[in-house]
Amino acid sequence: MHKRAYGAAAITGVAALVLAGCGSSSDKTSFTTTASATASASESSDSTSASSSSTSAAAPAAVDEKNPARADADLVIWADADRAPILTKYAQQFAADNGVTVAVQIAAQTRQQFGDATKVGKGPDIVVGAHDWLGEMVQNGTVAPIQLDAATTAKFAPSAVAASKFNGQNYGVPFSVENIALVRNTDMVPDAPATLDDLLKAAKAAQAKDSKITTLLDQSVGKTGNAYYTYPWLSAYGGGIFGTTASGDYDPAKVIVNSAESLKGAEQLAAMGKQKVLSTNVGDDNSEALFTGGKAPFFITGPWSIPNVKKAGIKYGISSLPSLPGGDAMQPFLGVQLFYVSAKAKNAALAQDFVTQYVPTKEFQLAIFQAGGRPPALTEAYDEVAASDPDVKAWYEAGKDGKPMPNIPAMNSVWGPLGQAASDVIAGKAEAKARFDAAQKEIVAAIKKSS
Amino acid sequence: MAAVPASPKDPLQPLRLGTDNTPWWAHAIKWGLLGLILLAGAYVIQRVISNGSWLGVVITAFIVMCVLAVYSTRRAVPMKYLLPGLILLVTLQIWPIVYTVSTAFTNYGQGHTLSKEDATARTIADSVQEIPGSERYKMSVAVKEGGDPTTAELFMLLVKPDGTLHVGSKDGLTDLAKDGVEVGGTGKITKAPGYTVLNAKQGNARSKDLDALTVPVGKQGGLKAVGLSQAFEGAPTITYDAKADTLTQVKDGKTTVYVPKNAYWSPKDGGQALPTGWKENVGFKNFSNLLTNETIRAGFLKIFLWNVAFAAISVLSTFFLGMLLALLFNDDKLKGKGIYRSILILPYAIPGFVTALVWASMFNQDFGLVNSLTHLHIDWLGNAWAAKAAILITNLWLGFPYMFLVCTGALQSIPSDVKEAAKIDGANAFRTLRSIIMPLLLVAVGPLLIASFAFNFNNFSLIYLLTQGGPFNASDTSIGSTDLLITYAFRLAFSGASPNIGLASAVCIFIFMIVAAMSYSGFRRTASLEEIN
Repeated sequence: MHKRAYGAAAITGVAALVLAGCGSSSDKTSFTTTASATASASESSDSTSASSSSTSAAAPAAVDEKNPARADADLVIWADADRAPILTKYAQQFAADNGVTVAVQIAAQTRQQFGDATKVGKGPDIVVGAHDWLGEMVQNGTVAPIQLDAATTAKFAPSAVAASKFNGQNYGVPFSVENIALVRNTDMVPDAPATLDDLLKAAKAAQAKDSKITTLLDQSVGKTGNAYYTYPWLSAYGGGIFGTTASGDYDPAKVIVNSAESLKGAEQLAAMGKQKVLSTNVGDDNSEALFTGGKAPFFITGPWSIPNVKKAGIKYGISSLPSLPGGDAMQPFLGVQLFYVSAKAKNAALAQDFVTQYVPTKEFQLAIFQAGGRPPALTEAYDEVAASDPDVKAWYEAGKDGKPMPNIPAMNSVWGPLGQAASDVIAGKAEAKARFDAAQKEIVAAIKKSS
Repeated sequence: MAAVPASPKDPLQPLRLGTDNTPWWAHAIKWGLLGLILLAGAYVIQRVISNGSWLGVVITAFIVMCVLAVYSTRRAVPMKYLLPGLILLVTLQIWPIVYTVSTAFTNYGQGHTLSKEDATARTIADSVQEIPGSERYKMSVAVKEGGDPTTAELFMLLVKPDGTLHVGSKDGLTDLAKDGVEVGGTGKITKAPGYTVLNAKQGNARSKDLDALTVPVGKQGGLKAVGLSQAFEGAPTITYDAKADTLTQVKDGKTTVYVPKNAYWSPKDGGQALPTGWKENVGFKNFSNLLTNETIRAGFLKIFLWNVAFAAISVLSTFFLGMLLALLFNDDKLKGKGIYRSILILPYAIPGFVTALVWASMFNQDFGLVNSLTHLHIDWLGNAWAAKAAILITNLWLGFPYMFLVCTGALQSIPSDVKEAAKIDGANAFRTLRSIIMPLLLVAVGPLLIASFAFNFNNFSLIYLLTQGGPFNASDTSIGSTDLLITYAFRLAFSGASPNIGLASAVCIFIFMIVAAMSYSGFRRTASLEEIN
């Protein structure tokens, strides 16, 4: 452990520093050494993956002789491992149509790798990523605006369009929307509950029949908490994290974590903890296993859990989150997947053309739906998928009234304190109002410190 | 750099001062290797140039020249041995230290990665908005017929939504005669007399020129290209006044003046700063922040005490368990020692992060193995003291095989005649252990204990994977009960609204000084142990 770890850490850390240092002058080192090491590793494999995954149609123009084609492709796209294969197929079509070469590369740690590589001028032209990266990307100046015309914008779900904006400017073209919902084991509970009381009644009835059930409502909390899963409990009463500005953007100056509405949600969390419905002993590490192991009838989760649920042979149903006593239905955060164009794209024109002309088409959105199974952001494509796929329809319905997760950088200051506050309240360690007041104070102080 | 790993090969060749008996193939290999290093250097330089870093070129060239000068001549024989080590020392040790220290004096971090010029240019580019009510044109990129598509002035061939044809240039918009013009299926002009329409590849190659082209129409801004197919009428809402060094934003009829403040463009009258900031030198600000911040001061002592206790208890507990097992398995009468020893080393062979995650799930209050075996209901990861115990137990599991290994090695090197002499002198087993074996063992493993202390002092991954520093005090999630200085620094620097690498570098310098001071005094003490010999 000791010597080996020392050596390995020293070598990778230092190698990354040296590589980045060689890259350019001092202002271009990566944030974390390991990530930059992987980034440069993927960089070095560029040539091979580019040649294997790219295609080119003959472009018989006289100019090409004078201006020999560069080793890298005319358009380079980075995407995660799930979407890259489908994207490659489509990119080949684009390449053939336009007589250019397109390379799709898999970036395992897309967010980090894109940031690091772009800073040293080695980044892709287009990157596929979540909308909540946007604030950070604009701060670091790594993404370029995308001027979508009004007719194209109107084709998308309004929440998806809102999510791709920052400071009134549009930076992305959306292709899917994801959110959490209530997943139930239909062998234990055949019908979807509309309210929390119904849910608990059904869960207790199931538990009476099956002593294996340990957890009435399976939601990731953990010892350090999870603000993403906490938010719906606040939103059911009209509470949340940030208020909005006049233009409808999230306002970092208006933190509403301890508003009267949010506190109602916090009280509800405390009650759930007291009744042993929610527990800090259920976290990211075991929540999925509890459901797939048949130990929980209800599971609050997103589409990412479904492959494992299917693998475990659990019969499941997806429904909207229930309404809370004295409040409305719980509303989840929406996560929107976007195509971004790099601010330092070597092939800016082609990149802009790809995202504005090809991404907003039904064929493209349907194709990429195959890879992730998330509801498409293009209304026309969603309608077609929803007609045949009840899961997609259920996910969409559950997030229909949800708001996009804040993409402002101030959100970084919220995850820790809000998650911890919820965890403490569920554990019964602190009284809801006092604890959420403390969290509010801490969040406001952190935002102030960094602006 | 690529030149570095290649260089250590040369000293392995037999060094003979006379030329006569050097075989020809040794020369061939030597010059071949030198040639390879030259080639590698040339390749690296080419890559570095394409990144535009002249410092990188100078450093690479310097290293390659050093290698050539030392190994191609017969002079500087000691350098032939020293050079690889020197290069590695500078690139792997000194450079990172210099870099960390220099970063500590900047505000480098999220939102502060660009230079001021780049950040300002980016801010203006990001402020371009489509003029409300304006129309979108279908666009093709073209040059004058006979012009070189790679260099000639660019024109936009435009189709308005009403079907009229236009030509846009940097001078303005003119009409295009319909005669001879062909419009393709996508509504774009594919052919026009007097112009050569660029294909996607050619147009893309002119991305920079296309981005710079604005066709002036209307009062403000003009037509700009969107990719290779569309043009829109837009204008930046922010302008830069170089003389006053201010940005002026005109948006929704409101004018705001931004001035540089804390490396952001901030409104003159207060309010939300523009998002893109820049990197600048901040002098000793990071250090004074650390020394004057009240939360940090309040938390520091608590964390520091736990950090020392954690490192000390970890070292002592692993050492004693490891030593006891080593003594046990060093007994000559024991059979099958190889098997037992292999089994004991297993925890050491499994990657530490896997072990930490497994232990984390075993410590789960409701579902964990520890509570279910002991029939306790301890909130291992949620109670401050229980969490500390959980961490020490996990680290004992992780660390004792190492101590077992080094103690076994050290015990086997203690000559048996010393032990025999003790026996003859009438010492019992415990007395032999206390007065003979322990002192000799400590001479051998003392420095390793200090190294282990320094390692555990900064054992980031264990804490992060097991408790993430928690459980936390209700009023402050920046100070956890099991936080080490390093995990605390990590949270301090990275969990705020904007991760701050400069601040993190400053913290690293402080931690380095603490560890260095403790290790120094530790080594002084082991030196006194050696006097026993």
